[in-house]
Amino acid sequence: MESFPIDTLPQAGYIHMACFISVKNAADLKERLQIQDKSLTFAMVQSSLIMDVFQLLVAATRSAQDNDAGKLKTQTLSSEIVYNLSPTNNIAESLRRFSIDETTKSLVAIKIGGEADQVLEEMSNTIDGNLVSFSKLDQEKDMIKLRKYYKIDPKVTDDTAILNWIIGAIAMKNIQ
Amino acid sequence: MIHNAQLIKQGAEAKVYLAPFCQRQAIIKERFAKAYRHPTLDKKLTSRRVIQEARCLNRCQKAFIDTPTVYLVDVDSSLIYMEFIEGCSVRDYLTTDDGHLPEAQAKVAKEIGTALGKMHNIDVVHGDLTTSNLMMRKESGSLVLIDFGLSYVSNLIEDKAVDLYVLERAFTSTHPNTEVMFAQILEAYGQNSKASKLILKKLEDVRMRGRKRSMLG
Repeated sequence: MESFPIDTLPQAGYIHMACFISVKNAADLKERLQIQDKSLTFAMVQSSLIMDVFQLLVAATRSAQDNDAGKLKTQTLSSEIVYNLSPTNNIAESLRRFSIDETTKSLVAIKIGGEADQVLEEMSNTIDGNLVSFSKLDQEKDMIKLRKYYKIDPKVTDDTAILNWIIGAIAMKNIQ
Repeated sequence: MIHNAQLIKQGAEAKVYLAPFCQRQAIIKERFAKAYRHPTLDKKLTSRRVIQEARCLNRCQKAFIDTPTVYLVDVDSSLIYMEFIEGCSVRDYLTTDDGHLPEAQAKVAKEIGTALGKMHNIDVVHGDLTTSNLMMRKESGSLVLIDFGLSYVSNLIEDKAVDLYVLERAFTSTHPNTEVMFAQILEAYGQNSKASKLILKKLEDVRMRGRKRSMLG
């Protein structure tokens, strides 16, 4: 797991993220998300839709800020992170696309705030899978879906430009 | 605002900071309140301009014009977080030994003309084209347009011609003996802008009368 400070809002604590592969209980986790199980205190996203950790950090930072301002668009801070990864304002669609589903094998768990040790323990106890480093993310990317969801122009080909396009789309979502 | 942000520039409309953001260095542009305006009006105008600036930057990015990537827009606090471009401004470059070479100037001129042509093709008018607002990436040498604080969307030939005129004045006042270079900019602009004939013709009218349109009639 890795923890990053929230530069714009240090008092909100750290952004904790952990990458899991070979997840076996996705169906169960999805079920708990659907019934809004309060004991599930972190967000889970499809790792195939993560181009770079920066993408997650931007979405999480924005969620922390909106939470601080009392302006969450979704029910919880966790769902807000998933929602903020999406470039559209359609909540249901955003969660369906970026959150996990029954068949998910690799995911990234994210939580804002809390003690690193406790957060990791909680994540590891809840997710039945193998904790791996973020370098694994590179192998998981689903470029077809990424291009579709972020409406990336086919002419954009190099990774930096794709990431910039994605970040731009996330940044503009509330002011389109 | 990030507590360890470092103020790097202050203009009439905004302050520009360099600060850590999500494991990177980012530019934070803060539009501040104007005490001489009514607070309600001020808030409305400021937030509208923050949004307008971010939109123009994003519009350019999507049209393959090299501009800083917008990371986060905080309308309530009038902040735009964006990519920090490492490099030097064209203004500084033209004062270096390299920047005096005709070949180097021709290369930069071509890039400037191409970028402006593409920008006007998508109806973005920069509004404040100076050599300080044109940068060159340290890594790739690519020309980057920055500071869209006065930019807006317009399809008027007049607005685009004035945009070019403002740059021409900036060139002649800050860089003596660069007439050739500006002509090269217009040449590249002509090859890349869709309505270049009309715009360049309008530029001649604008030169005769200045930036402001006559109020007569």
